[in-house]
Amino acid sequence: MTTDVSPDSIAFASGGPKSSGARRLAVHAVMILLSFMSIFPIYWMIVTSLRPENEIFSTSLWPSNPSLENYVFVLTRIPMIGMLVNTTIVSAATAILQVVTGLFAAYALVHWRMRLSGVIHGLIALSWLVPFQVTMIPNYVLASRLGLLDTLTGLIVPNAAHAFAILLLYNAMRSFPTEILEAARIDGARSWKILWQIVVPNMGAPIASLSIIAFISAWNEYFWPLLLSRKPENSVVQIGLQMFMTQEGNLWGPLMAAAALASLPILIIYLVLQRHVIESFMKSGIR
Amino acid sequence: MTDIQADLARPLILARAPTAARQRGTFTVQPWLYLAPALCLLMMWTYVPLVEAFQLSFYQWNMLPTSPQRYVGLTNYQRLFALPEMRAALWNTLFYILGLVPMSVIIPLFVAIWTQDLEGRARTIYRALIFVPMIVAPVVAAILWRWLLNEDQGLITLGLETIGLGRIGFLTDPNYALATLTWITGWKLIGFSTLLFSAANAGINPSYIEAARIDGASRWGIIRDIRLPLLSPTILLLSMMTILFGAQWSFAYINVLTNGGPLKSTTNIFYLLWEYGFQTMSAGWSSAAGMIAFAGFAVIAAGCMWLTKRFAIYDN
Repeated sequence: MTTDVSPDSIAFASGGPKSSGARRLAVHAVMILLSFMSIFPIYWMIVTSLRPENEIFSTSLWPSNPSLENYVFVLTRIPMIGMLVNTTIVSAATAILQVVTGLFAAYALVHWRMRLSGVIHGLIALSWLVPFQVTMIPNYVLASRLGLLDTLTGLIVPNAAHAFAILLLYNAMRSFPTEILEAARIDGARSWKILWQIVVPNMGAPIASLSIIAFISAWNEYFWPLLLSRKPENSVVQIGLQMFMTQEGNLWGPLMAAAALASLPILIIYLVLQRHVIESFMKSGIR
Repeated sequence: MTDIQADLARPLILARAPTAARQRGTFTVQPWLYLAPALCLLMMWTYVPLVEAFQLSFYQWNMLPTSPQRYVGLTNYQRLFALPEMRAALWNTLFYILGLVPMSVIIPLFVAIWTQDLEGRARTIYRALIFVPMIVAPVVAAILWRWLLNEDQGLITLGLETIGLGRIGFLTDPNYALATLTWITGWKLIGFSTLLFSAANAGINPSYIEAARIDGASRWGIIRDIRLPLLSPTILLLSMMTILFGAQWSFAYINVLTNGGPLKSTTNIFYLLWEYGFQTMSAGWSSAAGMIAFAGFAVIAAGCMWLTKRFAIYDN
């Protein structure tokens, strides 16, 4: 499924600044192929989820009698609504906490010159490179000692601060004009007031970006909930989906309906905020 | 938990201390209060556990709170190095990474250059579509591809059979399973990487291209001598992220789709850690393997940073 773009074909296509019709066609062909590849599995999920049981193996591009029976099946069989609510709580709380802890830490690093700030900056950045699988056993032991197994708090707290969040806000804050802050300081404003009344209102864009990314990646998080969760009703939707697959893996219709329900909130966010989502991820990274 | 920063505007170096600051040399409590929440959390959930994992790697322990931890020195490490499983997992880790590079770097790079003249509405639509896999949850992606590649009724299996290629056990044949998981991991990245390269490519100062064209440079000459060097920071960044995080990204797919099989053919180092830790309950082995992986990736990370500093070309 790859597109072979050899140097020769590029050289061949060079027809001066204005591109020829054939080249334009080839450009669109490449992009259509890539778009199709990206979107078709999701389209097929939706189509399959709408097929009644007797035509589940049909290869038609649209079900002849679309029905919602698979969705009904999922909603009655597993606590889907409860898990969606749990996931929303976990994702929103994670995003908010990451913004707050990130703002505080970035503010401290930007507005005070401390002898140790280089060390701290390094410590924060390096925490990124520690693979979670390496620290999972001590983390699990700690979580069980704190009584966090099978709780939503346990899913939120370890992710309440993240190197990514701190560094993103740090970079954004550094470009904030210092004169304004100096003026506020001279006026005798306290650091707390400066943070909330001057810095935060001017950081709308990076805070929004961070919230979008943190929410989506918390929604999609799989590994930590996998360790912590016991019962589906106390867990998030990714775990419910995995359990459903293990139990009913060949009920393709309901499985696709469950997958669709689990992705729906993220897809809606994407439909509404599409440009912002893309730009947030592009400016700040992959999660 | 696996995320990368792609701050394309800046080289990967630690930032200098900013100018707006006072209290030189005197100790102040305030900044530490602001730092406390983040630092406590990072200590509690990353650094202390890292040290504990290091300690655990010298012990034998079955993860039960009631049973004692027994000091065994370097035995865990010696055993691991002697295990063919470990060697196979390290090779598989390398295969995942090598398999991902074309999908996260090479193809996106050329697609971005090839399609650079796209403008207007078409461009916006393509952008919106190829980004989508990036925000699809790994578990959902795994399920979607499990359905498309299903051995009996999967659409792709049926399609391949129609054109006479026979049935392929994408997830059940040890010869194909790792490639399949690499493909799914790459599926999530290919569009996003293309967008990153397109953005970087569009940021190249057009006067360089114009000047080269006036000097009679061919299209390929312009790509080789101007575009590729100026895209080198993005190329290095994405390569580095693929190398450092590629094997971690594939974890969810391994866990959901193959459980490391068939015949261990899809087990990479991170999945092995998980197996030792939470399936066979040997915390010592898992920690020792984790330390080996961590040390290995730390060396690679340092090497990548050095390469970036040495070879990335920035247009100031």
